Amino acid sequence: MADAATTGPVPVTVLTGYLGAGKTTLLNRILSENHGRKFAVVINEFGELGVDNDLVVDADEEVFEMNNGCICCTVRGDLIRIIGGLMKRKGKFDGIIVETTGLADPAPVAQTFFADEDVKRATRLDAIVTVVDAKHLFARLDDSKEAQEQIAFADIIVLNKMDLVTAEEADAVERRIRGINPYAEIRRATKSDVPIEAVIGRDAFNLERILERDPEFLSGEDDHTHDDAVMSMSFEVSRPLDPEKFNAWISELLQKKGQDLLRTKGILAYANDDRRFAFQAVHMIADGDYIGNWKDGDPRRSKIVFIGRDLNRPQLRRGFEACQVPA
Amino acid sequence: MAGVTEADFLLAQRGATQELGAWVVAAIFDRAGVLGFALADGTVQIGDKAVTAHDGAILSACADARGGFLTGSDDGRLVHTAPDGTVTQIQKFGSKWVDHVAAHDSGVRAASVGKVAHVLDAAGAVTKSLTHPSSVGGLAFDAKGKRLAASHYGGASLWFVAAKEDKPRLLEWKGSHHAIAFSPDGTHVVTAMQETALHGWRLADGQHMRMSGYPGKTHSIAFSSRGRWLATSGAESVVLWPFFGGGPMGKAPTELAGGDEVLCSAVAFHPQHEVVAAGFGDGLVLMAEVASGKVVPACPPRGSAITSLAWNATGTRLAFGTEAGFAGFVDLSKR
Repeated sequence: MADAATTGPVPVTVLTGYLGAGKTTLLNRILSENHGRKFAVVINEFGELGVDNDLVVDADEEVFEMNNGCICCTVRGDLIRIIGGLMKRKGKFDGIIVETTGLADPAPVAQTFFADEDVKRATRLDAIVTVVDAKHLFARLDDSKEAQEQIAFADIIVLNKMDLVTAEEADAVERRIRGINPYAEIRRATKSDVPIEAVIGRDAFNLERILERDPEFLSGEDDHTHDDAVMSMSFEVSRPLDPEKFNAWISELLQKKGQDLLRTKGILAYANDDRRFAFQAVHMIADGDYIGNWKDGDPRRSKIVFIGRDLNRPQLRRGFEACQVPA
Repeated sequence: MAGVTEADFLLAQRGATQELGAWVVAAIFDRAGVLGFALADGTVQIGDKAVTAHDGAILSACADARGGFLTGSDDGRLVHTAPDGTVTQIQKFGSKWVDHVAAHDSGVRAASVGKVAHVLDAAGAVTKSLTHPSSVGGLAFDAKGKRLAASHYGGASLWFVAAKEDKPRLLEWKGSHHAIAFSPDGTHVVTAMQETALHGWRLADGQHMRMSGYPGKTHSIAFSSRGRWLATSGAESVVLWPFFGGGPMGKAPTELAGGDEVLCSAVAFHPQHEVVAAGFGDGLVLMAEVASGKVVPACPPRGSAITSLAWNATGTRLAFGTEAGFAGFVDLSKR
């Protein structure tokens, strides 16, 4: 494994979750499992780890605004510094795990991997994993903006403490999570007992894997919505898109609404192009590229998903539909 | 630019190289001219001797105040390595990383650990612990060793090393600042920023100097010996800002040795002449005369980026190291 690490970018797993959800338990599980891989671990609460590891780094979260006129463009300055240091030892470990504090907004962590060129060159964001306490999630979501954001940003959600809830309660919690983020993979667990493969090596930020999974819209609408609640919306159009129109629309949207848009993902069919275009954004920071041809016979439909706050469904739908070439 | 044959000439005829197997954090000539390479595996390589200075990666290194090498590491230790290979721990700062070090031949040293810059005397005792609003991004003494500048988020702080009361002069500028340098006459402070730009302050009146237009992040900055030019990495050429004739405000920088579409990764000014050494992302090392723009290659590109360059005090030797652990020097003395 170390050989692979010396050549390609080092995968980074971001581990979030509210206080007491079971993050450290999951981290200890990952580190103690006999998988032959070596991780550099960036943590915030030193001393809680039950495993000896040479490469445990004690970080003080320092969130910086990028001085580029974009107020939601925040990064973790300490992480840029730490990854710079770890890269000098490239090849000595197979991956990096970043544990955030329970109250952390995951956006600055995620944006660090897109906004800093040195970090971008040396690493790739593998997945954002959020550990959730099944018993207390409802209360957390009601009183904490961060708890909502941690779910909104997640690629994988470990629904923990399943032994403390009934089957009905578990389903209700899952419905609530789906209301915020229908695309995350949910793994039910007790004492964070998920296989390491479920959380490490997921490559969830690879453009080629965007919207690869079909969303699991569970039956029953979320009855908990209030104004500042995080929600998701997805739109699909059947006519090909005009790339210039789409670029103009999405740039303006991210510019104006970036603070409310936590994650955006899309697979696009451009006019007169056999290639699929994949698109993703974390707040205002966007990334996109062609990811190979559409399969013969597959419908070339463009799809876009927004996860965020205060989203105007008709407006977003009209905007996306207007990017199509004339019928 | 020069072909490989020519590029190889100096190194083959008047140089020596080594494969050290670890990221070269710094090439350093100590105060007596002894060459050492501080490596990311914790080793200080002095000639053929590989000295284990740390149980971890060296993060920052410089010539120590009174000879030998000063290194800070992610093992939390600040260490002195003598030219004969004797290793002495100066301080241990718990489990925190020692991110940046600096030293002056008056005997004073500085080491930053997170937000705190510790000032140490020649005996190694911590005389001051100076706290900053965020983690320190870089440290520099002025030419006299009287003032210490530390960069951080939101600007830089200037401290008098011998002050009875520690109150910094805060040089404010929005954004995150890392590499930092004093002009040789102590009148200006310049930082490299997260936002692919440099910022400078004229200390007499606090005048701001913005230097931007870089395609990449600047990691390396160096003033010429008399302070007329500031050489910088981060562009596909060596970008030099004029600090004379009213500059750099309103002046265009001079660009040298461009054209290969490879970012400059390290710079070092000759200790006497207006000749700058530059290393590039592909491993090329060259020397360029500012006045004529004449370029002489010192090491051909071998693929791995140059991380560090250093001149000895007399300017007769130029040493370099790469990310992949290739290191060497060329001897330019008259024969």
